[in-house]
Amino acid sequence: MKQKPKILVVDDDVDLVAVMKGTLESKAYEVITAYNGKDGLDKAKKEKPDLILLDIMMPVMDGFNFAEQFVKDPSIAKIPVLALTSFSDSLGQPFPFQVSEYLRKPLKPKELIAKVEEHLKRGGSQT
Amino acid sequence: MKIDNVIPKEQAVRDHTPEERALVLRLGVYVNMRWLIVLMIVFATLISSRVFHIGFSTLPVYIICAIIASYNLIFVRQARSLEAGKGGQVIERAQLSGNIQIVLDLLMLTALIHFTGGIENPFIFFYLAHTIAASILLPQRRAYALATLALLAITLLVLLEYYGVIPHVNLVGFVLDTRYKDTSRVVGVLVALATLVYGCTYVITAVSGELRRRQKEMVKLKDQVLEKRTMELEQASSEVAKLEQERRSFVRFLGVVAHDLQSPLVATQSFLSYILDGFTGQITDGQKDLLERGVRRIDGLLTLITDLLDIPRIETGQIAREMREISLNEVVKRSLEGLDNVAKQKELTLKVELPESSPKIIGASRRLQQVVTNLVGNAINYTNEGMVLVRVYDNENEVGVWVTDTGIGILPEDLPRLFNDFFRGSNAGAKGTGLGLSISKRIVEAHGGKIWAESPDPETKKGSRFTFTIPKKQTAAR
Repeated sequence: MKQKPKILVVDDDVDLVAVMKGTLESKAYEVITAYNGKDGLDKAKKEKPDLILLDIMMPVMDGFNFAEQFVKDPSIAKIPVLALTSFSDSLGQPFPFQVSEYLRKPLKPKELIAKVEEHLKRGGSQT
Repeated sequence: MKIDNVIPKEQAVRDHTPEERALVLRLGVYVNMRWLIVLMIVFATLISSRVFHIGFSTLPVYIICAIIASYNLIFVRQARSLEAGKGGQVIERAQLSGNIQIVLDLLMLTALIHFTGGIENPFIFFYLAHTIAASILLPQRRAYALATLALLAITLLVLLEYYGVIPHVNLVGFVLDTRYKDTSRVVGVLVALATLVYGCTYVITAVSGELRRRQKEMVKLKDQVLEKRTMELEQASSEVAKLEQERRSFVRFLGVVAHDLQSPLVATQSFLSYILDGFTGQITDGQKDLLERGVRRIDGLLTLITDLLDIPRIETGQIAREMREISLNEVVKRSLEGLDNVAKQKELTLKVELPESSPKIIGASRRLQQVVTNLVGNAINYTNEGMVLVRVYDNENEVGVWVTDTGIGILPEDLPRLFNDFFRGSNAGAKGTGLGLSISKRIVEAHGGKIWAESPDPETKKGSRFTFTIPKKQTAAR
């Protein structure tokens, strides 16, 4: 029973992260940010967020590599992940684990909030 | 048990080279000819002694024939074993055998000549037969050596008889008994024989050598052609590999371009939406209006970029990589997911008819979804009232999807240009990029299928119908 659900945002676009952070914080979520997959993985392990928003196309460690490492760690593998993809990413590659949902960038702030709420509710009932 | 024991080495059979084959063949011919020659000698002896009543002792002749026949049996067996390809060193063994045969035949011939009249016997010129055989079988130097040996043998015989060292056999009733002592005659015959023998050797070794040279040249030529073709093939395949690499790096390039063009647009749009949704505070109506226009324009630009970058992807065969067995019903259902809301907003009926058992085809699921979404989206856009119907049908050879609407239809002059790049209908409101249909066409054609439009719909006589088909057998696509 947490007061402030924690959300981890992993995306290399600084501006986008700022907007998403602002949007989510306005609804009283605690937001942790990471700008590459490696940092995202470290923060996920450390902070144990309730939801992860993950950009798939990133330098250093892209979304797929993040996912591979993610499933190996049982302490974080159960956290629901919303994958952010841009307009024309090839979704031909199967993701290494079950992503809760694929969200198309750009996401309007209202849509972002709605999706986050939806998946936090679902995630809560699962655990 | 070792594997070596199963096939003893001397029985290992292998193929002959053309040279070997020719040699072995010739040897076989001579061995067979020898039977014939023995028969001829017997026959000639019979004729001359019985028919022409020429007197000479026939027994030695028959004995010699028996000897020839006996050693021919050995050579026959050897020839068969060479033909079967048993053992190695075929050329060396064939040549050695040939040499031995020729020398033996020479000795037998000389002995025969002695017992059938020596210098009197016109068959003395049969040394030519040997000369010819030797010249064909053997290389030039050895052919001359054997020719010389033959001449020496006969000369020796004749001289021995001439000087009385060995008794002369006279062909009684054929020739006078004195001929063998007639110097001019002896010399004449020997000179004639020598000339003929060397002459023959020369001509035949020349011809034989020429033939062999030509054969070697042909083989060399064939090898050269083969080498050239192999090189060409290697070149072609390395060019293909290079092109393939270029294609791959181009596709990667497109990926980077797409990302770099889209990210700033996406970020900018998110700023505008953020402000629009009131997260930075209250905004005026005027501000709201402009922000909304900005968001829309960016949307359009993002779609255009996606479409533009899609085309080279489709053209360079990216689609082939995404192909697998898919269920057409699933594809259609997924394509319509967002669209039924849009249809509802316009108060249109969106109807879907799918066959009970979903047709399975080989294709790229996401791409076909793109096509269906494009066609149905267009149908909804250009229809203001009534219905949009999506029907999937399944024939033996192909599957097809109909998208029919009761909309504003397509002008006849626009029909042929409908699927061109950047085409926007004359009666449309210039919506969209004009790339949707051309991309759909590319995708359908990359699946080996066809896409076309009819307006009005042949059944309802209103609106338009778009159809695309995908063939079921897709083995060529790979």
